[in-house]
Amino acid sequence: MRRWLPLLLAVALRPALGADGDAFFEAKVQPLLVERCYECHSHGKKIKGGLTFDSRSGWEKGGDTGPALVPGKPDESLIIKAISYSDPDLQMPPKKKLSDAEIAVLTEWVKLGAPDPRGAVVAKKFVVNFKEALRHWAFQPIRRPESATSIDSFFSATPRADNFTWLRRVSFDLTGLPPTPQEIEDFVRDPSRERFVDRLLASRAFGERWARHWLDLVGYADQIGTANNVPAAHAWRYRDYVIRAFNADKPFDEFIREQIAGDLLTTTSPDPLIATGFLVLGNVNIVESDKDKLRVDVVDQQIEKVGKAFLGLTLQCARCHDHKFDPVSQRDYYGLAGIFGSTDSVWLTGRGVWSSVTFTELPQTDRERAQLAERTREHEQTVANVKHDIAEARERGHVLALHLDDEERESIEKQKADADKLARDLENRLRHLDYIKPTPPVAHGVWENGAPADTRITIRGNPHALGDEVPRGFVPAAFHGQPPAIPREQSGRLQLAEWLTSPNNTLTTRVAVNRIWQKLFGEGIVRSVDYFGLRGERPSKPELLDTLASRFVSEGWSQKRLIREIVLSAAYASASRTDGPQRRFRLDAEAIRDAVLTVSGDLAPCEGGPALALEFAENVSGLDPKNVNPVAFSTSKFRPEQARQRTIYLPVVRSSAQRGPAEILDVFDFAQPALFTGQRPITTVPPQALYLMNGPLLKTQAAKLAADLHGDDRARLAQLYLRVLNRPITDAEAREALDFIADTPNAWTSLCHALLTCNEFLFRL
Amino acid sequence: MLRRCGAGFGTLGLATLLARADESPLAPKLPHSAPRAKYVIQILANGGPAQMDTFDPKPELTKYHGTRLPIHLETERPTSTALGSPFKFDRYGQCGMEVSELFAPLAEKHADDLCVIRSMHTDTPIHENSLRLMNCGASIMARPSIGAWITYGLGTENQNLPGFVVLVPKGMPVAGADNWQSSFLPGGYQGTYIETQDKKAAQLIEHLHNASLSSVEQQAQLDLVEQLNRKHFATRHDPALEARIHSFETAFRMQTAATDAFDIEREPAHVRALYGDTAQAKQMLIARRLVERGVRFVQVWHGTLQPWDSHANISTEHRKLATESCQGITALLSDLKSRGLLDETLVIWGGEFGRTPTVELSQGEKVSPTAGRDHNNHGFTMWLAGGGVRGGTAYGATDEFGFKAVENRVHVHDLQATVLHLLGLDHERLTYRHSGRDFRLTDVDGRVVTELLA
Repeated sequence: MRRWLPLLLAVALRPALGADGDAFFEAKVQPLLVERCYECHSHGKKIKGGLTFDSRSGWEKGGDTGPALVPGKPDESLIIKAISYSDPDLQMPPKKKLSDAEIAVLTEWVKLGAPDPRGAVVAKKFVVNFKEALRHWAFQPIRRPESATSIDSFFSATPRADNFTWLRRVSFDLTGLPPTPQEIEDFVRDPSRERFVDRLLASRAFGERWARHWLDLVGYADQIGTANNVPAAHAWRYRDYVIRAFNADKPFDEFIREQIAGDLLTTTSPDPLIATGFLVLGNVNIVESDKDKLRVDVVDQQIEKVGKAFLGLTLQCARCHDHKFDPVSQRDYYGLAGIFGSTDSVWLTGRGVWSSVTFTELPQTDRERAQLAERTREHEQTVANVKHDIAEARERGHVLALHLDDEERESIEKQKADADKLARDLENRLRHLDYIKPTPPVAHGVWENGAPADTRITIRGNPHALGDEVPRGFVPAAFHGQPPAIPREQSGRLQLAEWLTSPNNTLTTRVAVNRIWQKLFGEGIVRSVDYFGLRGERPSKPELLDTLASRFVSEGWSQKRLIREIVLSAAYASASRTDGPQRRFRLDAEAIRDAVLTVSGDLAPCEGGPALALEFAENVSGLDPKNVNPVAFSTSKFRPEQARQRTIYLPVVRSSAQRGPAEILDVFDFAQPALFTGQRPITTVPPQALYLMNGPLLKTQAAKLAADLHGDDRARLAQLYLRVLNRPITDAEAREALDFIADTPNAWTSLCHALLTCNEFLFRL
Repeated sequence: MLRRCGAGFGTLGLATLLARADESPLAPKLPHSAPRAKYVIQILANGGPAQMDTFDPKPELTKYHGTRLPIHLETERPTSTALGSPFKFDRYGQCGMEVSELFAPLAEKHADDLCVIRSMHTDTPIHENSLRLMNCGASIMARPSIGAWITYGLGTENQNLPGFVVLVPKGMPVAGADNWQSSFLPGGYQGTYIETQDKKAAQLIEHLHNASLSSVEQQAQLDLVEQLNRKHFATRHDPALEARIHSFETAFRMQTAATDAFDIEREPAHVRALYGDTAQAKQMLIARRLVERGVRFVQVWHGTLQPWDSHANISTEHRKLATESCQGITALLSDLKSRGLLDETLVIWGGEFGRTPTVELSQGEKVSPTAGRDHNNHGFTMWLAGGGVRGGTAYGATDEFGFKAVENRVHVHDLQATVLHLLGLDHERLTYRHSGRDFRLTDVDGRVVTELLA
């Protein structure tokens, strides 16, 4: 009986076509759609699967899987399939099947040719009015000030911080290290702020500090992707490149050009090749088995990174639809996707499903070539020795096997087992030696893929559902004038670099100078440093931002000059206040650790080089070529000197907590290496206090510091305050400290430990 | 004398402590709606337990044992012939739920408490991706974990303990700290990772104690820090400075509170006997002690990497794994119940995906005694118990072989929406603005599976 019902209903409901069809729609179909479908398929509520039922064009156009129905043909219509629950993957509405009567109504409607008199719905929610959005401040040309304007003309006079506070502030800001007692004494003798700043800018420590800010934005780690601890054995070259770039004051436009298109620049230096590591050192999902998806995901990450680091835009939002707040269309996104899609970034390794990021061989000098030859000779000698030992052990095993029937069977068995084990261990050693054998220098980086081409829109990011092809291009909203043309036979990365660094680009320089400002004041002129779009914050002083941005360009994109100008301003020198330009903030993890090592005298210089100690066999696993997983690293053993080197040189792991001397990073808000971070959060949580109170770093270093103070108690106290707090001790403080020393066992270590945990040390004031 | 100037570090008044609780990012917050549960214990059978060997009986599969199934779905590796479950199923409880012998002790006591979801499905058969999706709502991108979202949304009730604790016997699960990351949420919401095996209570939290200082010495040192900080603060009045002063006081109290919370030796003998004396049991007991003390979210991992990943030898491997964990889980539910805590504690059990009804192709067409199952994202089983769920229920179904969820399918995002709902949080309203966009645990999906609610 039940089975007949739809048919009966259908007969009963069958209206004539035309006006009657519309009436049928309004009377029967529309209420049903409103009640059962609109919640997920209308502009007013949600648009799941890209499908809407609130207009005729909505279902005509259909969703991700195509038109929702074929008028007149229920059997070919997705909607009928979905509501009939015949396919477990496509069941609508998902919560509860429609009644048979309701199914009959919709089936009949489709059979009738789906009459639907409704007009198009104008979406109200989340559709950008491009014309209006383009009026947003960040898309306006940068206004060059009419006359030379100083930074201080933008601020009313505020109380100045004292000399010691300024010295400490500028030292930490520029180098991530506190001033040494010697530097403080020199300054007291020669109180020239210019000379002091110039010395800081010229020190290697400057690059070591500012490179780390940049690495935060890149999602840098000494690991490829996040799965299975795959070493990015050459990532350190990119880290060292960034340090070099800051120290050499490489013009920022060149810095951009090298990172986007260094492989396309004509130069003999390896640096531009290394620089393209920017595009591949990130959270790539190398275990993705769908390689089409991997490719579009990598492209997506490159677009996101370029958008965030250089433009302060969330371009990745336009992967599946036009951006919901900003004038960035899906076509803009795929214009960029064509550029990066024409670039090789990943390759299949041959071990299981695993991919890796591309790398590129670097040019060598004659000297480097000679050194490599020498190292290779030594290595081959070691390998020969190990092979010899293996043969010996195997031979011994064979001989012993012949005597297994002898009387001392047990002893012989054990000897044989030992010999066999030795041989196996040596074979493992050989594999490890082969893994670390000297090779010509390589860096992670990209190259053109040989067949540059425009790309097609992937519908909702699905690489297997393709839409229109989009010519390669940029983001028109952020540019005034004619953008560079992309030659057909090129990827367009070179032109992207040109577009990013053109005076017609409204964002690159504003974003860059704002980042520098934020590092020196604690807060950006635009507080949302990574996002300049419509939902971001507006600049607190737009004219100042534009003045700095245009001066940045006219001064040759020099970051050092801009930093110098800022730190020599009165605004920078003002006392920290919550309502003034200058903010007080806690030192970051690197600054805390590096400062502790400086103060105790333990800090060891480092020239860079590999962060992962892969030369220790216990740090490498999966060397057997039959393994379906790639070679993996652990950070169980560090080189002894790593405990004393600056934190930027320690390995960064993406898939787990940082280990060994780097553990402080996670305690104090390190930038997540799977994200791109322009400004780290600053949290205050008890585990930080526990780390400072009980952790190994301060315990060891406090003892070293205490042992490194000399003279009588008062002299030692004076040294201690100058070293740790970078100012003279007051009489009252000295008296109190002397009391503490008199009363306390182990007093000096305890006093040193206390000073290294107090706020005055931990904060940049 | 310096350290006699003030009240002293160890003697702070209660009033100051209470005043401070409001300022902490972990202070308790009101949910969106009346909660059914206040705490969560998430038990991860990481590696992926086989549904057809545990909570989803498939007699039809047994009929096909050793032959090809009429259906085939792609998983991580090629698979071939059917492998009937080597385990026997029985009916338990008033509800008559069918459970395999692997979890018979659990079912005997708690079948009527379990709300089994037999129609779970997830996006990929890859451990990392599925773990991230299960724990963070996104399989690739770095996103905050569910424990971080919940402590962000609700705070925690005990300011002397972390709000989100992660227990692993030893080592790291696959995808490591991603599973309890705070990502773009403030760092205070990140899970506190603790290796529970072979360690004394006081050593469980990192840097909890200072081995080279006596407590008197440390108190003197901390009094000095307090004095220095107070003086420094007096001329500056910056809340950031004060917050840090408080964090030291909290840390000092944590030294005692955490030692107590993690010390299962303080449990009476009969309670410890209930749980048993295994690494899993120890963790379950710690989890109960934490929840009892107001910790919001406890994640309990079976072990390093992916212990439940029985590609081979499923009949012995799964038995071993179930034996390791069953008593502790059973005891946890019984213990929570007898203390009246089960009503307000949501217990979640499951892996990141399930396993195939078929054996891996590399093992040939013939089913060997050492056969195992591949990863299966198309269908798997999880169960909930306690806080607000409908006990004695088996919801949804896989096909006749247990390959794919076909009836009342529940995606991982649906489960997450439901868990948040049970805690009084609306998964569409629990958002955080990052990069100019509001993010949520369930991205743009998820529905509260109301059929699971009591």
